[in-house]
Amino acid sequence: MKHLRLIALLVTVTMLTVLLAACSGTATTAAPAANSSETSAAAATTAAPTGEVVELELWHYFSGPDGDVFDSMVEQFNAQNTGIHVTSTFVTREDLMKQYTMGALSGELPDIGMVDNPDMASFITMGVYEDITAQVEAWGEKDKFFEGPLKSCTQDGKIYGLPHNSNCLALFYNKKMLADAGVAVPTTWAELEAAAAKLSGNGTYGLSMSAVKNEEGTFQFIPWFLSSGGTIEDLGGANTVKALSFLDGLIEKGYMSKDVINWTQSDAKSQFVGGKAAMMINGPWQVPVLAEEAPDLEYGVALVPKDTTYASVLGGENFGVCTGANVEASFEVLKFLMDDQNLADFCEKGGKFPPRSDSITYKDVWTKDPIYSVFSEGMQYAMPRGPHPRWPEISNAMSNAMHEAFTDAKTPEQAMKDAADKVNSLLNA
Amino acid sequence: MNMDYVDTSFDRPAVKVVAIESAKTRRVKVLMNVFAVLIACLFLFPFYWLLINSFKTELEVFSKVTYWPQQWTIKPWQIQFQDKDFFRSLRNSFTIASLAMTVSFVLGVPAAYGIGRFAVPGKKGILLTFLVTQMMPASLLLTPLYLTFTRMQLLNSYLAPALAVASGSIPFIVVTLRPYFLSVPKSLDDAARIDGCNAVTSFFLIMVPVIRTGLITIIVISFLHGWNDLIYSMTFNVSADMRPLTANIYKFMDKYGLKWNNIMAYGVILVTPVTLMFVFLQKYIIGGLTSGAVKE
Amino acid sequence: MFAKSSLYNEREARTGFLFVMPALLFMVFMIGYPLIYNFQMSMSNLDVRSFKGNTSEFVGLENYITLFKDEVFVQALAQTFTFTIWNLIIQFTLGFALAIFFNKKFHLAGPIRGMIIISWMMPMSVTGLLFKNMFGTEDGVINDLLVRLGLMAQNMPIGWMIDGKFALWSVIVANCWVGIPFNMLLLTTGMTSIPEEVYESAAIDGANSFQRFWHLTVPLLKPAILSVLMLGFIYTFKVFDLVFIMTQGGPLNATEVLSTFSYKLSFTEYRFGLGATGAVILFLNLMIVGIFYLRLIRHEEVA
Repeated sequence: MKHLRLIALLVTVTMLTVLLAACSGTATTAAPAANSSETSAAAATTAAPTGEVVELELWHYFSGPDGDVFDSMVEQFNAQNTGIHVTSTFVTREDLMKQYTMGALSGELPDIGMVDNPDMASFITMGVYEDITAQVEAWGEKDKFFEGPLKSCTQDGKIYGLPHNSNCLALFYNKKMLADAGVAVPTTWAELEAAAAKLSGNGTYGLSMSAVKNEEGTFQFIPWFLSSGGTIEDLGGANTVKALSFLDGLIEKGYMSKDVINWTQSDAKSQFVGGKAAMMINGPWQVPVLAEEAPDLEYGVALVPKDTTYASVLGGENFGVCTGANVEASFEVLKFLMDDQNLADFCEKGGKFPPRSDSITYKDVWTKDPIYSVFSEGMQYAMPRGPHPRWPEISNAMSNAMHEAFTDAKTPEQAMKDAADKVNSLLNA
Repeated sequence: MNMDYVDTSFDRPAVKVVAIESAKTRRVKVLMNVFAVLIACLFLFPFYWLLINSFKTELEVFSKVTYWPQQWTIKPWQIQFQDKDFFRSLRNSFTIASLAMTVSFVLGVPAAYGIGRFAVPGKKGILLTFLVTQMMPASLLLTPLYLTFTRMQLLNSYLAPALAVASGSIPFIVVTLRPYFLSVPKSLDDAARIDGCNAVTSFFLIMVPVIRTGLITIIVISFLHGWNDLIYSMTFNVSADMRPLTANIYKFMDKYGLKWNNIMAYGVILVTPVTLMFVFLQKYIIGGLTSGAVKE
Repeated sequence: MFAKSSLYNEREARTGFLFVMPALLFMVFMIGYPLIYNFQMSMSNLDVRSFKGNTSEFVGLENYITLFKDEVFVQALAQTFTFTIWNLIIQFTLGFALAIFFNKKFHLAGPIRGMIIISWMMPMSVTGLLFKNMFGTEDGVINDLLVRLGLMAQNMPIGWMIDGKFALWSVIVANCWVGIPFNMLLLTTGMTSIPEEVYESAAIDGANSFQRFWHLTVPLLKPAILSVLMLGFIYTFKVFDLVFIMTQGGPLNATEVLSTFSYKLSFTEYRFGLGATGAVILFLNLMIVGIFYLRLIRHEEVA
């Protein structure tokens, strides 16, 4: 038996040593003091005693050049505000949504969190974000924000965050390929189909877009049925079905690759860059990317071809203050990020549009640049998605219908009808 | 001590006996070699693809299939090392993997021993329990584990992912090593007892040497589990300075695209340390994976 | 061995138990709570609206009924089984074959066996992306090779990732690429623990290779084989990373498996109750297989 005690001792010692070694490797960046999980539901607006620095944590998913610009802005804020220190952490978009969910359960939310605008409604309902209506009103710059973007941050009349950047979709076209085929830039669906017909062949397709079965696909689908007069409330209606049939037709006739069901918007861009597609539907954030990847490519941008009216879809991200955060300090950060000049600077560098009416006048790029000015025009027609707390399910129903039609599992009519059934039950719930 | 059943596969005969091969046997051997090469080509082709694409430019990677870069570039590789987080992530990966390996080993091997050689009450139930803990996909264990680690204040530490990974390795060790422990004949045990060993000393002095091939294989596998872990590290260690190398893949996978050439370079880097580990330890694994046949 | 004193047996059992305890406690602690958590949640209607403040209610087996009425769920369930069984068959047979082949005495046996292992060492995220790249319909290298080898017409490429008929197979191939070396490794390890003398005496007795294999190798390897199959089944059944990265369950649910289906329910649609239900169903299926495995090994005792 004495051997057993010896062994037990040995094992315990080993495990303790291992544990100690491990614990000493815990993150040196301390968890923000103000973000305790034991804080009651009432927002803990602890005013930092003078001399003490308030540590804030910010989560975002800006990557690549965007990420660098954003990080430098955060550094600028930290330099200007000695009483507050913000640590910004990059988390990929899918993971971030998951982390918000778990954070809400465990209380381990950051102070400030970035979110894609259609997703915000769900998170507000789940209690991830803090009501900052009072702070926003006191700030007094609310009216400078465009209605669509700001609406995505509100629920039941209360504001939970501020929009940071916006974008919309447009048609990119390869100037040389169009010239070689003797095709003018299409403005209507009929013209688009004709142009695509002439441009397809020999391993090239006329058009590329993204039709993946998630938010990205829905994002790309929306301009089409809005243009033909469809609405989300009436997905099964003739107008909406017309849009899906049109796109499905492009695939069947060989003007668009069936692989689109697997392509993200960046895959669609790769096809365009590689000369495999003469035109593509994409957003302004691709402009800096094209400049880097294909500086010699001559391309132009036009509004998404219309059926009855021009239409586009609103994209972009918001920042909100999370539940349990130090609201006052966090709002200082938001004020800095959404400051009219700062916002203009950031958006210009990232190929995005500021959601403020004043910022948009600060840079010529949005009015004079041949590429960006087209997007500016498209912003007028850009409609927001939702906001609705159950938007993810609605979105899934729509991208699912697109997939069913494109893979010929169902006819466009049947696919849209089934989607309409699902969506209507969600909207009326 | 009775040495009859000790594994002598490591002992090389002092004199190599060379049999005179018939022409037929020689032909068969040649065919076998050829066949082996074909198999290698088949299995290693994806790896070749990984390697060769890491030297291509973005334009070429997207435009068409080429088996040899038309334009060589080492930019994808430069990007890996230029990343300011690279060495920190490397260190994190190594720590998490080592920790996971240690925990799994320390807990798992004795358990395999206990359940393999002793008439433990409820043995079937215990084995079932170990198996049962494997039956949930990691993705759905995340939330409750996250809650557990929050309460233990272990978020953003090396321990959290290591423990989570170990929870996958330990049952694997138990189930895999159990047949090894079973195959050691009881007479060995009894002889050891007669010589004065108890359970523990016979474990260290008899069992461990006899099954050392299996042990080393298990060590490498446990380390690999920790090294390759993505989902646990990413979920529990949001803070960038605690993230391992695997999390860096998202730097090449964003809404700007899947940068294949960068991803491929990154993939090669990820595989290298464990491959090296394998190469150095391979003498002990399976009697030396690369040293040739042990028996027919 | 004849009867030992009952005291010795009791001490034996206790010693053995003590060896097992730490691991057992660890596992129960780590996984026990998540299991209960998921069971509980599968019987609640936790979703977006009831999340805040946790106002979800107990709904008994309602979620289970909802799932089984969902045709995508049933499809995912069937596909998970198909996927797992095909993987097991291919990985085991080929892994075993390769283990035997590389055990033969020829020059390149050792080095090449070692090289093949690399595929299993790569993180799943990279493997998934690699194969996604290789299986592209029009710009994928696999189709290119097939055309060059004359096995496929240029203008009719196989839509590995876009055609429902082939999509699951592309994931199976990727998974086998990873799994075959692993099976080979474990079976080889098992094979080397069989003493040479056993084969030699059989050869002296006049048994040929096939008889030696069938009557010696296979029975002696039975514990190893069973554990390889059992673990293989469990790990393949709950496959997540590979499918999620390669196809995300598409195209149109053709590669949807239980774990991806549950994950999407929980983390993209925030229908946590249903997601947990999917997880529990996955778990229950594996339980049944596990119990079956236990029955098979009930005769395994120390020699």
